[in-house]
Amino acid sequence: MTQDIQDRLNAYITAQIMKQPGRTLGADEALISGGLIDSFSLVDLALFVEESFGVRIDDTELNAQTFDNLGQLAALIQGRI
Amino acid sequence: MTLAQIGIFAALGLLAGAVQTRLPRRWAMLALSVLAVFWLQPALPIRGLDFWLPLVSLGLSAAVWAITLPSGIRAERRDGIAGLVILALALGVALTRHLPGLCCLTPSRPPETLPVLIALAAFVGLVWLAARGFGRQPWTLHARVAALALIFVILKSEPLTGAAAAGLRSLAGQNPALAAPVDIRWLGFSYLAFRLIHVLRDRLSGRLPVLHLDEFLTYAVFFPALTAGPIDRIERFQKDLQADFRMDATRLQAAGERLAQGLFMKFVLGDGLALFALNPQNAAQVQTGGWAWLLLYAYALRLFFDFAGYTHIAIGLGLLFGVRLSENFNRPYLQPNLTAFWNTWHMTLTSWLRAYIFSPFTRALRARRWPAGPIILLSQLLTMLLVGLWHGITWNFIIWGLWHGLGLFVHNRWAGWAKDRPALPPRLAALGGGLLTFHFVALGWVWFALPTPQLAGRVLRVLLGGAP
Repeated sequence: MTQDIQDRLNAYITAQIMKQPGRTLGADEALISGGLIDSFSLVDLALFVEESFGVRIDDTELNAQTFDNLGQLAALIQGRI
Repeated sequence: MTLAQIGIFAALGLLAGAVQTRLPRRWAMLALSVLAVFWLQPALPIRGLDFWLPLVSLGLSAAVWAITLPSGIRAERRDGIAGLVILALALGVALTRHLPGLCCLTPSRPPETLPVLIALAAFVGLVWLAARGFGRQPWTLHARVAALALIFVILKSEPLTGAAAAGLRSLAGQNPALAAPVDIRWLGFSYLAFRLIHVLRDRLSGRLPVLHLDEFLTYAVFFPALTAGPIDRIERFQKDLQADFRMDATRLQAAGERLAQGLFMKFVLGDGLALFALNPQNAAQVQTGGWAWLLLYAYALRLFFDFAGYTHIAIGLGLLFGVRLSENFNRPYLQPNLTAFWNTWHMTLTSWLRAYIFSPFTRALRARRWPAGPIILLSQLLTMLLVGLWHGITWNFIIWGLWHGLGLFVHNRWAGWAKDRPALPPRLAALGGGLLTFHFVALGWVWFALPTPQLAGRVLRVLLGGAP
């Protein structure tokens, strides 16, 4: 289940945010602190998560302390489904 | 904070480190924080105000704690004891008016005891009612946010502060014609308001942990962070308060290093550079571009060393008490672009604004399917405008905010466009980007450092090789 979430997140982030469809992100690759996702795209990612998984990520959680890679974000979503 | 005050806090920290159990340490931190609110407040010309403002800081914090208790949760005995400790300390400070010649914690003689007792009773009534469950509806939380924002506007606008000073002078039986905006210098309010708004907003979104009054008060007015931040998040701060704390050689060394680094940066580098940093006096006199750039470089470095040095001191003092305050700076002048600069300069303020202004605003527009470009422009302008206004409601701070908002927008668009079109080797691009970013930020400081657009315009003309 978590792997499925990770795959869907990977597909969205690489295609819509990074504009590099087909790329595969590592589960522990730093997304926010590594500069791959900026603060504007983080909001888009939160909206995508809300629409796709029915899980709300609060504005105060859109930071590297809450999640900084696919693994952490997938675990956060899994914990709220 | 003065060197003497930092020294006294550090000595108290070493004493606290000798206390190995959690309970006395917790109460000692509360007591110290409450007393420091009075002690750090600078003297004010309006009679009694340098006592009343710290008292209101404490009262506001206690009231916000009470109304942010989750529904169904009532205050406990521990909260009652904390309330009594705070009252006893505030009353004790007020009673020092009867001890002339003895060291006072307030910069001038505290007001008469009867009005203090009435104010304390009013605060107790408000907090008690809220702690019993009255006034905890969402609209009252929104009203508190609006009230804090209103106080903010009054304190940051010179005409409004002047009018408020005149009113307070009349109340105190002093001549209102002598009122000036500097009459109301409320130490730490900017940071306190941001902490309280954070708590109120997190309560509204259901993300606030259950807090005891002693934890909340210590967080709101924690003395190392009272005057210049950082603006910590309460759930992180609470974890430190609840953790077991043992002062050992490693912690002591870490605290000592941060304190030494901070003292050197603030009092040696920062104060040294202040001697020839850009200011309204030399801005009006400078005639040549070379000198103007020297003044500006000195100002840019002075601002960093002063503020980052202060953060080191705050973090060092916090470590002595077992609290690891959030970092606020991470080599901002060495960043390759403006976005990275703002991710590393006054980080706790930018995180706060991102969480409570930028992201909600962006989310609201994005959910309405607005295109990305206009949203990024509006969000960056709004956020940076608020950063400017946070420093003061003046034209120069507005221009400074818009300068950075536009800069962030341009960088965002440029970064998207240039991602697939690398024109320079990465190292050269980083070096060029770093130099460009530093100078963009430095030119922005001209608006920040000077009080009027005319003076800033004069310096900018000289900087760019024009006639003064």
